[in-house]
Amino acid sequence: MRRFLTRRLLLAVPSLLGVTAVVYATVALVPGDPVSAFLGPGASPGARRELAARLGLGRPLPVRYAHWLGHAVRGDLGTSVSAQRPVTEVLWPALQQTLVVTAAAFALVVAGGVLLGAVGALRPRGPAGRLAGALSTLSVSAPQFSVALLLISVFAVRLRWLPAGGTHDAFGPGGTADLLRHLVLPAVAAALVPLGLTARVFRTALAGVLESDLADGLRARGTTRAVVLCHCAHNAAPALLTIGGLQLAYLLEGVVFVETLFDWPGLGRLLYDALAARDFPVVQGGVLVVAVAFIGINILVDAAHALIDPRVRSTS
Amino acid sequence: MTRPSRRDPGLLVPLVLATALLAVAVAGPLLAPGSATAGSLRQRLLDPGSPGHLLGTDGQGRDVLSRIVLGARPSLAGGLLPVVVATVAGTVLGTVAGLGGRVAAQLLLRTLDVLYAFPGVLLAIAVCSLCTPGLTATVLALSVVLTPAVARVVFGEVRRVRSAEYLEAARVSGQSRFGVGVFQVLPVIGPVVLAYASSLVGLSVVYAAGLSFLGLGVAPPAPEWGAMLDELRPALFTHPTLALVPALTVLAVSVLFNVLGDALARRVAGTGGPRPAGHR
Repeated sequence: MRRFLTRRLLLAVPSLLGVTAVVYATVALVPGDPVSAFLGPGASPGARRELAARLGLGRPLPVRYAHWLGHAVRGDLGTSVSAQRPVTEVLWPALQQTLVVTAAAFALVVAGGVLLGAVGALRPRGPAGRLAGALSTLSVSAPQFSVALLLISVFAVRLRWLPAGGTHDAFGPGGTADLLRHLVLPAVAAALVPLGLTARVFRTALAGVLESDLADGLRARGTTRAVVLCHCAHNAAPALLTIGGLQLAYLLEGVVFVETLFDWPGLGRLLYDALAARDFPVVQGGVLVVAVAFIGINILVDAAHALIDPRVRSTS
Repeated sequence: MTRPSRRDPGLLVPLVLATALLAVAVAGPLLAPGSATAGSLRQRLLDPGSPGHLLGTDGQGRDVLSRIVLGARPSLAGGLLPVVVATVAGTVLGTVAGLGGRVAAQLLLRTLDVLYAFPGVLLAIAVCSLCTPGLTATVLALSVVLTPAVARVVFGEVRRVRSAEYLEAARVSGQSRFGVGVFQVLPVIGPVVLAYASSLVGLSVVYAAGLSFLGLGVAPPAPEWGAMLDELRPALFTHPTLALVPALTVLAVSVLFNVLGDALARRVAGTGGPRPAGHR
């Protein structure tokens, strides 16, 4: 296991180097420079020169990248141009907000995905299975922004059950209960697409195991349905784990629309605004955080794979 | 791919609907009841069902139905063209890497690793901001995002057939590498790749609308579903039904293309499975 983890961690290094290099190059190509974006059109040449020098814009791109990288490995991601604060200080609160939505949405993804997938696999021809299949397709096809607008229109505007945006009421008790009330709609809007994908993958995996010799053997021995299902679910778990990990990564990086429509101050929204404001250090740092999370989740998924599946353990 | 038979309504129905949708996109100017850009300020924000305006009017008094119909062309182009570009580019990359040696394969796989570790939506936004907002920016950005996925599926399929004996026979009989790729491999992997590509259309339409929603795609006043979503969003609290019209349009089109993609994939797999053989 230790060898496996070491190998995977070493393989992650070139991926991270690639991602950061690509972002650095892409961001440098974006028209409009941070100096103009920050100082505005009326800035004096002296002020422009000073800011450009402070941002290190005079040096060639590879040198700037190497400089950034040297600081990044020591946990220093530079200074945000528009906030004039360290990038880590800007990213951290946004990351926390995104993690809150991601955690809530992921709970829905796993619960809903397993439920829809299991019903679909256990009743492939019956009405319940067909309904589960149709719901999965609908869920996969539901764009974040459409669902978000639909939810706000119904539950916030018409029924007035839940707030339409933000994380807390401006004048209210605050606290966890208030946060949870604000969390319901964004979490549902973010969860639907990954939920549908998870349901489909789990359904296929579970249906495959239920048709296998393992299931036949258990049934032939007179094992109860519930126990057969438990064994089959265990065998279908690796597929669930893989797709679940992918969807968790997808949620971390892909909630820009939900954050925009629900005024949720998360990472996706921050990065979009930073790109629009040409605040390159924030973009660069944010993408690094997301890429590290993505690769980290993948490694954890593979490790968990080895833990629950003896076949993987014996080969690795 | 075989012709859809009358006995498979699961394929025929979405195919007919998708064709009708494309017809609307092509013949939009003939079908739209009014203008997409001319509005009357005296008829601002009418709710759907108002006389003369079946789907209501937007904040500038423009007919929403006309804008939805005329917006079909840029909206669908923003979804379909990237899939076409990504399918061609991904097939070339995947086939070259699949038939080539170790170096080519490793080069492709490691590049894909990097692109996969990238936030997809953010990559599209970044590429979009490299260009002036418009259809070209959308198509370019989404092509970049979708190509790795296609390349990986193609690569997997090529690897699967690469050691087949008929390929060996073609090589021995003197066919060039290029010839083997085009005449021996492509026809075999074609159906799976096309089915996979069709499953990307729904996603691509949604992404294209999303980019316009963020102000990076087709620029106003041209009608486009994602841009309309953004224009009608302020009306959400006063006219909750009206603001949903473009949102539900994108949702319906996304469902349609996903159902069509699933049906095509089932057809190709021939087993009733929910995914093409190459999908991982």
